[in-house]
Amino acid sequence: MLMVVKNQIRCTLLALKYGIMKEMLNRTSFISNVLFMILNNASMLIQWLVLYSLKDNIGGYSFKEVMLLWGLAASTYGVSRAFFASAFKLSDTINKGKLDAFLVQPKSVLLNAITTHVSSSAFGDIIFGFAMVFFYGFSLRVFLLFFLFTVTGGLILVSIAIILGSLAFFLENSEIISDNGNNLMVHFATYPDGIFKGVTKILLFTLVPVGLANYLPIQAIIEFNITKIVFVLLVTSFIVFLANLVFKIGLKKYASTNLMSARV
Amino acid sequence: MNVIEVKNLSKTFKVKIKEKGLKGSLKSIFKQKYKTIDAVKDISFEVEKGEIIAFIGPNGAGKSTTIKMLTGILYADEGSIEVLKINPTKERKRLAYEIGTVFGQKEQLWMHLTPYDNFKFFSAIYDIPEQVAEKRIEKLKILFELNDFIDTPVRNLSLGQRIRCEIVASLIHEPKVLFLDEPTIGLDPVVKENIRTLIKRMNKELKTTIFLTSHDVGDIEKLCKRVIIINHGRIVLDDSMENLKYHYLNKKIIEVKMKEKVNLDDEEGITILKDKGYNLKIEVDTQYKNVADVIKLLDPDKIIDINISNIPLENIISAIYKNEDK
Repeated sequence: MLMVVKNQIRCTLLALKYGIMKEMLNRTSFISNVLFMILNNASMLIQWLVLYSLKDNIGGYSFKEVMLLWGLAASTYGVSRAFFASAFKLSDTINKGKLDAFLVQPKSVLLNAITTHVSSSAFGDIIFGFAMVFFYGFSLRVFLLFFLFTVTGGLILVSIAIILGSLAFFLENSEIISDNGNNLMVHFATYPDGIFKGVTKILLFTLVPVGLANYLPIQAIIEFNITKIVFVLLVTSFIVFLANLVFKIGLKKYASTNLMSARV
Repeated sequence: MNVIEVKNLSKTFKVKIKEKGLKGSLKSIFKQKYKTIDAVKDISFEVEKGEIIAFIGPNGAGKSTTIKMLTGILYADEGSIEVLKINPTKERKRLAYEIGTVFGQKEQLWMHLTPYDNFKFFSAIYDIPEQVAEKRIEKLKILFELNDFIDTPVRNLSLGQRIRCEIVASLIHEPKVLFLDEPTIGLDPVVKENIRTLIKRMNKELKTTIFLTSHDVGDIEKLCKRVIIINHGRIVLDDSMENLKYHYLNKKIIEVKMKEKVNLDDEEGITILKDKGYNLKIEVDTQYKNVADVIKLLDPDKIIDINISNIPLENIISAIYKNEDK
């Protein structure tokens, strides 16, 4: 069992290495993608700076706390897209019969299918996210917690993408649902949760679990709340398990196609 | 010893149907209609170790669906499959270590990597230790003559070179059974011939059982000793190539150059394919007339030149497809 896990990790790391190598084929494009993404994220600082010049507290967050939230949103987005970019194209992979190549290999179909592409600009998001830790006020505890929640948040985003992508096993043209769902996860992540009330707030901790990927972790970092830390870890494990289960059930309905395709 | 055993295998697909035009599209929003397509209907067959078997049929006959069920890509609705005594549905990963697959229409290689890097990646997929992988790559490099382009990114290779690399990638773990789904699609005749030679050599040297689907009669004729024809999801013929060629349709083609014109109209068992005065091309149905009788009919003294050949395999296969369609 241990050997199986070790070999799977070896393959996944190799796939990621080759994905990064592909992105680095054009050095100028790679570097500019990373830099422009950092700049793009940084430009939002101005918007918040203007808002906080008018008000000290927005939705229970100070300026520095909002920046930390923005940083976590960027780094979770970055981790999910940098290493698992193909999870966000899963419905296309299923619809075009591209799972065939992974099904004839003795490894995890899901893991292989979601690690075939790497997004270079997402590295800019990760760098920006960690820079916000320094902006907030660096301490080893904050840094380690931020790192932990970057991983859990990234896993939640990928898991949601897998669940939405797996709809392609059951529905036609599910790409639109998948894209909208993934976009919702990003759009809500950058606003302080205090501004949301009632049903919206419930939705943000259930159907669109931005709260579990971003809001709760930020509260856990700020308050250093062990209960919240453990809760985030448990919920992340559950969502990852659920994503695996949905994909596994869907795979039984996989119909493949005879469309010509290449692994590019 | 059988390496593949298929019993009463069936697979259906549910396909959405829509009426024509915008009206049909609007209707389908409120009421969706589906029809069931029987892709594979109750087929059974066995393949012995070391065989090169052709699994052929017209488009949509059920070839790829069958291959996909044999390799664990698709689940069967009914029936049982055993490949090397392994159930592909229940033990997909275990089976994957024992089989190799090449889909001519779907590339498995990473386009930006060199064939060598791809082979290293596939070695990792199959848990092959570094040193063993190096030795196998070296051996396959020689067998498939990859030396000139093993360090060139796959995207810069010609189609023929790429297919050779696809086959090597599928052989890196030394599979016992190799599934080739239209491996020579889109290749020029020289490259096709090259690939066929390599497949034959691989079968001889590595004792690999080969399950081949192809629309190219040359692939079938030159590689396979046994052929299974599938049409409309059912097996319509499972026979040796010998029998298929010489007994199934019992037809011969005779091309003659005559000293003077002959009239073969209304002769039973003879079909005139071409009549250019002194040059004649006829098809003889040996069930009604044997070749010797035809030569007598032509008058041997008046024959300048004669060529007797078997009916092309392509025509035999087409005739089987057409008969089934009727």
